[in-house]
Formats: sequence, C-alpha cells, structure tokens
Amino acid sequence: MTDEKPSEAEKPEDKKPEAAKPAEAAKPEAAKPADAAKPDAAKPADAAKPDAAKPAAPAAAAAPKPAAKAPEPVIPATAGKFEQFLKEHGIPCERLPLSLTIETIALSGDVLQAALRLLRNSSEVKLDLLLTVSGVESNDTFDSVYHLWSYSNLDELVIKVLVKKSDVPEGDLPAVPSIANFWAAANWHERETYDLMGIRYANHPYMRRILNPWDWEGYPLRRDYKQLVDSLNDKNPHSMR
Amino acid sequence: MATEIQEIDLKTDEMIINMGPQHPATHGVLRLLLTLDGETVKHTEPVLGHLHRGQEWQGQNRTWFQYQALIDRVDYLSGMFTSWAMARACEEIDGTVVPPRAEYLRVMLSEMNRITSHLLWLGTYLIDLGAMFGFPFYPFREREKLFDLFEEIAGQRMMFNYIRIGGVVRDPKPEWLDKLKRFLDEFPDRIDEYETIVTQNPIFLKRTKDVGILTQAVAKDYGVTGPCIRSSGIPLDLRRTKPYSVYPELKFDVITFDKEGDTWDRYMARILEMRQSIEIIRQCIDKLPSGDIMGKKQMAGMRIKAGEGFSAVESPRGILGCYVISGGGEKALRFRWRNPSFCNLAILPELLKGCPLSDIMAIFGSIDVILPDVDR
Amino acid sequence: MFSNGDEIFKISRLTIVWLAGIFTIVWMVCWGVGIALPMLLTSQFGDKAALTNEILRAATPVIGILVFIPINAMFMVLIERRALALWTVRKGPNRVGPDGNFQTAADAVKLLLKEDITPTGADAVMHTFAPILFFAPSVFGAVPLLAAVTNNHPLFHILNLPTGIFFVLAAGALPVVALVMAGWASNNKYSLVGGLRSAAQAISYEIPLVLSLVTVCLMAGTLDLVKITEQQAGGILNWNLLGGGALTGLNNALAGGGAKALATSYFMGPVSYVCAGLLVISLIISFWLYLTGACAEINRIPFDLPEAESELVSGYNTEYSGMKFAIFFLAEFTNLFVVSSITTVMFLGGGDNPIPPYILNNIPGIPQMVAAIRDSYFCSTLHIINPETFFATLWVIAKVYGLVIFAVLIRGTLPRFRIDQLMAFGWKRLIPLSLIVFIIVVFAREFVICHG
Repeated sequence: MTDEKPSEAEKPEDKKPEAAKPAEAAKPEAAKPADAAKPDAAKPADAAKPDAAKPAAPAAAAAPKPAAKAPEPVIPATAGKFEQFLKEHGIPCERLPLSLTIETIALSGDVLQAALRLLRNSSEVKLDLLLTVSGVESNDTFDSVYHLWSYSNLDELVIKVLVKKSDVPEGDLPAVPSIANFWAAANWHERETYDLMGIRYANHPYMRRILNPWDWEGYPLRRDYKQLVDSLNDKNPHSMR
Repeated sequence: MATEIQEIDLKTDEMIINMGPQHPATHGVLRLLLTLDGETVKHTEPVLGHLHRGQEWQGQNRTWFQYQALIDRVDYLSGMFTSWAMARACEEIDGTVVPPRAEYLRVMLSEMNRITSHLLWLGTYLIDLGAMFGFPFYPFREREKLFDLFEEIAGQRMMFNYIRIGGVVRDPKPEWLDKLKRFLDEFPDRIDEYETIVTQNPIFLKRTKDVGILTQAVAKDYGVTGPCIRSSGIPLDLRRTKPYSVYPELKFDVITFDKEGDTWDRYMARILEMRQSIEIIRQCIDKLPSGDIMGKKQMAGMRIKAGEGFSAVESPRGILGCYVISGGGEKALRFRWRNPSFCNLAILPELLKGCPLSDIMAIFGSIDVILPDVDR
Repeated sequence: MFSNGDEIFKISRLTIVWLAGIFTIVWMVCWGVGIALPMLLTSQFGDKAALTNEILRAATPVIGILVFIPINAMFMVLIERRALALWTVRKGPNRVGPDGNFQTAADAVKLLLKEDITPTGADAVMHTFAPILFFAPSVFGAVPLLAAVTNNHPLFHILNLPTGIFFVLAAGALPVVALVMAGWASNNKYSLVGGLRSAAQAISYEIPLVLSLVTVCLMAGTLDLVKITEQQAGGILNWNLLGGGALTGLNNALAGGGAKALATSYFMGPVSYVCAGLLVISLIISFWLYLTGACAEINRIPFDLPEAESELVSGYNTEYSGMKFAIFFLAEFTNLFVVSSITTVMFLGGGDNPIPPYILNNIPGIPQMVAAIRDSYFCSTLHIINPETFFATLWVIAKVYGLVIFAVLIRGTLPRFRIDQLMAFGWKRLIPLSLIVFIIVVFAREFVICHG
C-alpha cells in the first residue's frame, strides 16, 4: 500500500476531497473486488454529491467542502456501498444522514457481532482496522460508535449501535454486545466507554473501569453526571485512593 | 547440543510484582501488575488512569477556543499532532478553508515535532536499556535546538498552541527559515553520530534483536499503528496511504521492514523516520507558498457548525484520531480521542508473555508510549 | 569533539586539587601517627615509649585507610559525575563551592542527616548489618594492597601478607553475602530480585576473575603482592600486562645485555620466542578478563543488573536511606578503587615507571632531581617524603585513577546486559577462555625464563 495514488495528486487536500469526489467507490482498490454492488451504488452517489460539493471546491485549493455539514444534513439518495454489502448478506441496517463523506450505518445490537465479523473477514471489503469504539450520549439514545478502517485500502465506515434511553431499564446500563472476544482492539476501548459513558458491553472478558479508579461512582461523560465532592476526598472511608 | 533437559516438577510460587506507578522506567505513571515465575513474566495487567485528566470531559465543557489551547497537553511530546487532529476534525465539520501556506507550515512544524518526539524516545529508550548516564543526552542536544526554533515561532517550547482551527497562528520570519535550514544541514550528521554509538553496539543488538517480536496478525488484531506496525511489515502510513493536507505533493516513501518486527526494527524505523522528516521539511521549505495563514477568525466565542467529523493524522506514535460532534454552539457535544499510545499499549501483555524481567523495559520502551496520551 | 575545552580544563584542575588534598591529608595523618608521634615520644620518654610506638606504627595504616576511604569516595563520585557529564554533553554538578567541588561533601552531609528508615516487615537486624558487611571487606581488601601500592614503604610494610592476593580475593567474595542479605531483609520484591541476581552474577564472574589472577600468580610464582610488584620493576616490558616477564629477556637485551641476554632468557630459540609471544597474548587476555570480571564483581554498568535502575528501581538498596545507603554508596566506590588497585598491582607493575631505567637515567636532569629530593631536609631528617616511594606513589595514583576513569568511560558508553545473556557470557565465553589462557600459560612458561 505504499502507492502514491496519482489520482489524488491534482487535488491534494485533506482526505476529504478524495473521499468526497466519488463517495467511496472511486478508490482504485475498492473498485476491483466489489464488482456487482459497486458500480450501480457509486453512480448515483456520484451524481448526488458534486452539486453539494462543487460550489466551494474550486475556490478552496486545500479545503474540505463546506456543504456537507448543514444543520439538517442531506440524506444520501441511495444506499452506500457497505449498507448494500451488509444487506446482501442479510444484515438489516440503515444509513444515517450524518456525513456525506464517511458512510455511517446504524445497526441493532443483535447483529453487531455478525456484521463486524463479516466486514472484517470478507475478502470483498476488508475493514480490518478498528480505530475506536466510542460512546456518545445523544438526546434520546446512547450510541456505541465503531470507526472502521482498512489496513489495505482506503475504505472507511462508521457503525453506530443506538440504544434508546427509554429502552434502558431503570437503574441499569444500556447494553451492547461486546466484540472484544474476536477483536482484541476493542477490548480497552469498550472498557473505556464503559468507564466514562456507562455503556455495558455484554460478554466482555474483563468489564472493569480502565481510566477511573475501580471504585468510582457514576459515568463522567454522561450529561446527568454530578461530581461528588467527597469522591475526591482521601478521607472518604470508601475511597481506595 | 543434543542434551535433553528433563522437566522436573518443582513447585515454585509465582510472584506478583507491582511495576509502577512510581518506577524509574515506566515513563511516568503506568502501573504493570506482573505475575512472575522466577524472572519470567507469566501475565501482565496494565493498570491505567493515574494521569487521567478527563480531557474528553474538558472538551465538552470548554469552548472551542479554550480547548485548542489545552489539547497540546494530551500528548505533550507531540502537541502539534493533537492540535492538528482537532483542527482538521473541526474544519471538516465547519467547512473552513485552510490557506495553502498554513497547510505547509502545519506539515513543516509537525515533522519537526516528529523529530523531537523521536529524539526523546531515543534517549529514554537507551535509558530503559541501561545506558543510564551515557548516551541519552546526545539526542537532547538536538532536541533543544528544535525547541528553540519552536519557541521562536510558536512562543512555546512544548505546548505550542500553534495549529488552530482554520490555519496556523504565526507566520515565520525568513531568518527563522534560515535557522531551520542550518539545523537540517547538520542534523543528518548527528543521526549518524547516534547510529555509530548505538546501532551496531553488540550489547544493544543482544538486547533488542529477536526481542518482543510483533507478528502482523497480532498487530492487526490489536489495531496497532505507527512505527510499530510499519516495522512489522504493514505499510500503514497515513501520510501516504490516506494522504491528507499537502502530503501528496511531497516525495517520500513509507518505511517498512520485510519481516516481523522486533524491538530493533522499531528502533530502526524511528531513526529512518527522522531522516525522512528532514527531507519532508526541506521540501516544505522549498515549496512554501506565500499568502494568508488563517482561514477562520480566532475569537473566544468561536462557533463550529453542527455535525460530526472524524479526522486522523499520523502522529509519531501512530494514528491519532479525533472524533468531534458539534451541536453548532460554542462547545462541543462530544470529543473523542483515538490515541495511538492507548491502542499500542494494549499489545504489551501480548508481547511480554514469557519474556524475562529485563526485557519488559526493552519492549515497553520500544512501543513508545506516552502516558498522558494513554490516560488523557 | 572536544569543543568544550573549558570543561576539560576544569575537570583536570578539580582532579589535581582533590588528589593533592586527599593524599596530603592522608599522608600527614600517617606521618603524624607513624613517624612524628613516635619521634616525639622517644625524645620525651626514651625507651619507655617503645611499646606505644609499636602500637602506633601498627595502627598507622588502618588509620590511614579509614581517613582515606571517605574522602576518596567523595572525590570519585565527583569525578565520575563530572567526567560523565563531559562525555554526555551535560554540565555536571558545578554549583556547590568553586566548580562544584563541595557537591559530594554536601551530599554526604545530606545523607548523614537523612532519616534512617527500616521498612515495615523488614528484618531490622539483617537490614542494619548488610551495609556493614558490605563495607567491611572492601576495607580488609585494601589492607594488604597498601604495602604493594606504596612500594613496600616501611610504614605499611607491617601489613604485607605472604598470601596477599588470596586474602584480597577472599575479602572481595564476601560482599555478595551482604547483598543477598540486604535484598532479603528489605521486604521488597525488587530488592529480593536484585539480591538474587547479585549472588548469581558474583558466583559466575568470580571464576574468570580468580582464574585470570591465578594466571598472573603462576607467572610470578608467588602470592605475595609486594613480590609480584617488585618482580615487575624495570619498565613496561617487565609488566604482567605484557607477558609477565616473558619480555624480560628483550628488556635485558635492550638494557645492554645484547644477544647473550636474549639467549639466556629464550634458551630454546624459536620455541621460546613462540612461547613468549603466546604468554604476551595470554596475559593481555587475562588482563581483559580481569577487568570484565571485576566490572561484574563490583556491579558497574554493563553488569549492574543487581541494581538495574530501569528494571529493579535500585535493586538491593531500594529500601535503604540515610546513613545505611551512604555506607553502600561508599563501599561501592571503595570497591571500584580496590579493584583498580589490584589491577595496578597485578598487571601494571604497581608503582613502576613504564619507562625503563636505562632510558630514564640517561635523560639529563632526572637523576639529579631524585638525588636533590633525597638529600633535602624533609626527606633525610623528617621523613616526610620517602624518595624510594614518592615517585612510585605518584605512578600508582596515576594508574589507579586512570583505571577508575576508564570504568567511568565504560559506564558512559554501554547499555546493560540481560541476566541470561550475562550468565551465558560468563559461563560460555569468559570461563572457557580463562581456562584456555591458564593452560597455555602453564605450558608456555616452561620455555621462557621469566623475570630473570
């Protein structure tokens, strides 16, 4: 993968432009394995994107496109490449209108493991670099967000598992199945998300706080988190610090 | 040597030893819970968080303007990269146009920062190997010179706050560029000097060759990035494989080694990266365009449009990612850092399995972990 | 490379000032106790003071050593830090006193005033005795060396043992016990590992170390340190470093003996020449073996595994503070000094001038200078300077501190071994090599008349 990618030489900007031009499909590597799904998925996306991106592009030699992040994002006209791929393999998913440049897919927790296994191991997509697992608290959901990249090509994908706050039982944590058992990279990230955001990863081998002390109370990144004054006090009889 | 050693079933107790958080060689406050059998490591559990400052929490509770001054502290040895990752993520959301001169300056200063980071790594790594008072200060000599240059342009030696959302903050004077050029001219000789002492030193070779071998399968499983994985033969260098900024216009190759990387390969990868950075900076100086350096007005009440963005840069330690969700206000809704040290440190238990006590530091040092970067 | 000539100048000045100070003080104490006081007592009480004088004379070397060791350790620490700083592009301690001369004195005061901590659960008695047991042998070890390094000065002659080197080695083997004791008694796992490593390491490296010295003793035919030194007198060609007298025939020939001297020493012709060459090579290897083994024995980098800072915090002395730590520290530097002295005596001819006398005496001015010193009032009456030993002492000082600086240079250059590599190096390389050298010397020695 040391190739210099001459296709980008004329537009040498943030990874944005290269991704923006023809969605994900125009990347040379990506084009070769995916034969059936790609072309028809790429063409419409191609058509949809430029009119959003064009106006700003010529002016800015080194800038990303401004149009992508309007307050109410443009919903892509068609399914993305990975959405197509997952649906082909019988995994229900839905594209989220969050970003034009990176495909964002929402999955349900039940199919998460199957989907990630598939994306990681299938010879077609090879999304084998798990960058992060993050926890996000939205207005009415807890999201577990997976950023997937590839070691061998330029594909990238964001997978979100949304857990509705209303579905979480009182006094319990939102639960998402853990992928640490087959993907070691997720291990510490899931622990961290559990620690800071309070998303419990079911069947995680070692679900324990990682950054905060083991006896910490509460989940600091949640919106309703209140710092107990006493929890920083060494004289607190329950403190292990 | 055809003698067969008969396994005698002697019961020996395992010893649990706490390495850190106050230990001379854990680079700060890492705590390793080691289970030792004699001097052989059976099991390692890193205990993190002694330096946890809630950087993500602070990102959500500070304005964009405040937070970009704070963010250099996440990885204090390569502050340029953390600033850069944040700036790129915000620009992505905001659609800010970054002037080309600013992009070149960003690349230039980041590469300088990469050199300082690797220089510090080189010095401390040799301390880890027990060259306690000897060699380590030579890299620091050059590092000081670079810091002087940083101080001149950014006003700070380590916490630069130089790369801002929308551009960079100060324009270098021509004299500064001359000084940098002079440094670049002498620096290759200095690297040769380090290599004379270290690279073929028999004890150094004994300590590093075939120690802490990182196989490609393990590396991929753990999401290792940076020089660690490049020395294992996977050419994942964001500057080339997913080029950002002006890297496509610059000529350099990804440094990889053919085989599975041991600690010596990781050492060599960083040495070569320093040489590579020199070339990149030279090209940047030559190509530096004139023009504006800031594409967004810097002010306390700066706002970023609503949306979410993820950006990654190739920091000296690996892929440094920044995931930002903005609600369109003065503060972010969520900041999430993908820190290379955090992800690379996760392979430590894997690498330490079955190695002797003395190798812990050789291996731990070679993956180049910065504890503030791990704990945030 | 030497862009910091200023720093070099400062270090040289510091060395000269300190060495002059140390040896003036030590010599004045020895002279006062061993010469001036008996003279005074004799003049006052006549023969009645004979017993007291005997006791004073016997006590002189011990008092001298006890005065010498702490000051010397202070100087060695200082020179080590300054020299290391020079080689590692730093400044080194330069704030306390002029040029930082009093830095180590301040450190010593600090260490003495610090609280003495015995960790919870530690064996207090063993914890206290370990540093003492570590320190004592280095003093014992210094004792028989004293006669040899002062060219058998009458004051120190009293301490000479017929089995001197044997005693020194026996004393040198003791500190291991202290280290294991310290490691075990500290109730700390790092200390324990450090102590055990030190035991393993000392036992492995004792063998090549002793074998290399035995080789020298075999050449010399004696265990007496003074005799070994005296044999090497007469220039660098007689030193044990270069074949232990295998080149004496050459030396004699150069001195004026001509072909006859050659034929006497190398009585077997070409066979003798080959054997002499073998001896030279063997003894140079022996010298190197001794330096390596000694480095391991006194836990200096690259063999400082028992106190490997990046692995074991500080090894066996992790839990020591205040005065106990000071004693450990003192003993380590004294050990370095003792080892350098042994090397000087066994390999570098003790106080011998490397320039042979047949050259030196032909240099105009030198014999006159020696004679002038001998005839001066200080020498002939007050015995403040003994011309027989004065120059010898200067040479010894130069050689010993040269070796100390060499050890510092090694420390400034090499990383540390790993424990298994250290063991493999000791058992698979050094011990076979020392045995081979030993056997070669046993046979080759028969064909050359050494020290003839």
